[in-house]
Amino acid sequence: MAVSPQSSTPFHPGPLAGYRILDLADEKGQLCARLLGELGADVIKVEPREGDPTRNNGPFFRGEPAADMSVYWWAMNSGKRSITCELRLEPGRDLFRQLVAQSDMLIETAMPGEMAALGLGYDALREVNPALLMVSITNFGQTGPYSSWQATDIVGSAMGGHMFLNGDEERGPVRTTAPQAYAQVNFQAAVGAMTALYARGVNDGLGQHVDVSTQESMAVAMDNNQPIWDIRRINPKRPGVRRNNVGVLGARYLWETNDGWVTALSVGGLIGPGAGAIIDWLAESGEARGLDAPHWREKLTTLAPLDPTELAHVEETMAAFCRTRQKEALVAEAQRRGSGWAPVFGPREIVESTQLAARDVWVRVVHEDIGESFIYPGAPFKLSATPWAQGARAPHIGEHNEQIYGALLGLEAADLRRLKMRMVL
Amino acid sequence: MRDANARKQAFEGLRVADLAWVGVGPLVSKYLADHGAEVIRVESTTYPETLRRVGPFVDDVPSVDGSGYYANFNSSKLCMSVNLKHARGPEMVKRLIAQCDVVTESFTPGTMARFGLDYESLRALRPDIIMISMPLYGQTGPWASYMGYGHVLQAAAGYNHLTGWPEEPPIGTGVAYTDFLVPHIAATALIAALDYRRRTGIGQYIDFSQMEGAVHGLGTAILDWTANGHEQTRMGNRDPEAAPHGCYLCRDGRYIVLACRTEKHWEAFKAALGRPEWCDLERMRRRWQRLNELKEIDRHIQAWIDAVSVDPARPEVVVDDAPDVPADWRFTTDELVAHFQRFGVPCGVVKSPEEMRADLQLEHRKHYWQLEHPTMGLRSYDGPAFRLSETPGVLRKAAPLLGADNEYVYRDLIGLDEEEFVELLTDGALD
Repeated sequence: MAVSPQSSTPFHPGPLAGYRILDLADEKGQLCARLLGELGADVIKVEPREGDPTRNNGPFFRGEPAADMSVYWWAMNSGKRSITCELRLEPGRDLFRQLVAQSDMLIETAMPGEMAALGLGYDALREVNPALLMVSITNFGQTGPYSSWQATDIVGSAMGGHMFLNGDEERGPVRTTAPQAYAQVNFQAAVGAMTALYARGVNDGLGQHVDVSTQESMAVAMDNNQPIWDIRRINPKRPGVRRNNVGVLGARYLWETNDGWVTALSVGGLIGPGAGAIIDWLAESGEARGLDAPHWREKLTTLAPLDPTELAHVEETMAAFCRTRQKEALVAEAQRRGSGWAPVFGPREIVESTQLAARDVWVRVVHEDIGESFIYPGAPFKLSATPWAQGARAPHIGEHNEQIYGALLGLEAADLRRLKMRMVL
Repeated sequence: MRDANARKQAFEGLRVADLAWVGVGPLVSKYLADHGAEVIRVESTTYPETLRRVGPFVDDVPSVDGSGYYANFNSSKLCMSVNLKHARGPEMVKRLIAQCDVVTESFTPGTMARFGLDYESLRALRPDIIMISMPLYGQTGPWASYMGYGHVLQAAAGYNHLTGWPEEPPIGTGVAYTDFLVPHIAATALIAALDYRRRTGIGQYIDFSQMEGAVHGLGTAILDWTANGHEQTRMGNRDPEAAPHGCYLCRDGRYIVLACRTEKHWEAFKAALGRPEWCDLERMRRRWQRLNELKEIDRHIQAWIDAVSVDPARPEVVVDDAPDVPADWRFTTDELVAHFQRFGVPCGVVKSPEEMRADLQLEHRKHYWQLEHPTMGLRSYDGPAFRLSETPGVLRKAAPLLGADNEYVYRDLIGLDEEEFVELLTDGALD
């Protein structure tokens, strides 16, 4: 298992080494900045004097809220360096502009108009650095009828059309507990940022403002439901343990095992051209419940329509078969027989997965400040020439003030003391 | 000021051979195509791309040129057809790739090598080529050959475990979820590699595993387990950090969501409700206290909504034992959301595909593009979720017909003469 460096080093093997990014983002952009940092960019988290508000986000280490113990903060900000800079004071804004002049990108998540009110809107910052890429991530976009609306993850999920598709008929829509509107908008922002970076390279240093919307990021995660509405005028039902088949409720895909659950489309492969191999599997165990008879084989492999009683029989046969078996063994055998099953894994099983271990994806991040180290999710992709690399643990508030203000702006210890006295740092 | 016309789209001048299938691969190349790259879909008529065979189809008539599913993911692209199992198929693809900057694929590991199209072979043709492979589980490991779709990968990657109601089955999302999450991560890596090549001339190979990308979308779930030994699980519409936080039924059968993460949101929420007494109980004062009172809070909210919500299509319902609200507080679902937003409470409608298509904000952003397709007619396509101020994405054309650009690809790019082209065509190499 790879181990993180103990402190941020200026040398990175990644493809973005040499670029500098200022990170003013909250939940909508911190993961985006982290990802670009792991690709080699020097990411500087810019915080108010009292620290970024998301330092108060749970969960906390050992469940105890305390300074520098937010597991949320650790997860979203590893690999970054931190400075404090009070943007509510003009001397702070002046320092910030000097940093902007030396940076390639700014990622921010303020409500539309807030940066401009501070004199730090795109038009003002472009004057400071014409090649700047300003990535502005908001709930609904920079302009438009909802641009001033408040939102959290669940609002993005609902207004982005995703939540309507999740849940079941009885209990209504449901959100994924791990916030997905935030995950989606972070990754969409990363693509937008990279696209603008590439455009700058081929356009002689062209700066841009990248306007990213959380709602719109969810709107492109609706599978085929937008064309289904466009072409068939159908709003799908919430499928629960079933799947929607072009907007119409289809067969069940979720099966209970004696140690959890598995997912398998088309009743675990019992319906479709490859059904024979799955019927044989049930028959070998004496659990085919008649489905191995020639007329059933014919029906299932040719996808002949099934009446509700027939479908219920097929589903109950598969449910009974799975109920007495273990999920990973079921998945391995189904895959051997040509059906694309997968186990339902929780966080623990993902971390213990033999597949991910064989791929050496986990990294150990050293938290030397508390004498611990923890396993973090590692490289999301393997680049052959310029590898992704985990940076150091997330920074403390202003941990790198001297390093960054010294190296970039030439400030000395006395300058920093003076700025601290004036509550700028 | 620069001349806007002289500006290049981000990926203008780059050519991409896109051998990928279904959701993830085509969505990665869609970013490139909609921002200027010439993306050539490499497909087959003998084994048509899976999405071409899945609806919705116009008039419900199945046709490889009629799928709205395929169309939406393949705007701005060209399409060639080739039968890789024909003796000369792989050679044609190699000759195309020699003219390309990027190759994308999502076959089961080993498939590209069987056709002589592995990275080492392609690099010999074109030393600075960038190739990305993006199957479910990566190129190596015990699951490398496992099959499946995003519907089941969401289970292996933790999304089922984290979606549903407590003590109820892990239903997962209602869509092939990871198909619409991991392309962004793959595209980020691919464009970073392109930018590195632009500056250094060095190409590379990207081994992308959909599952490994997907675990980065789980928020704090992994670290909460490895650092705290706490296994997060599905909480319905609750949130460990916010109270109230939920989804509520309105009189017209639609749902709204609302969330109070901060004390500021809570103060706004109390004002929006007209400051009912229960809000001022001592045990409702702080967020950590309210997190223990969610059942009661949800009951109060639903009762309040029942009292003020109206369905314009149906006569007013009289509620017994209704909370005390001003007589003129009667809101349609959209008015209810606007009411909460006026006070600064995070709130929204659970929007259906139909409502998304009519959404005023998405209309303002011109999210949906109307493109004329030769057989499907004028259809709606998703544009990108981000806007670049100077070089915005443009959906240049509707999805390509299967093999629509064979003439251009085989004659102009691969360089076949008329005779050779017809010979291959009649021999089935283009099937």
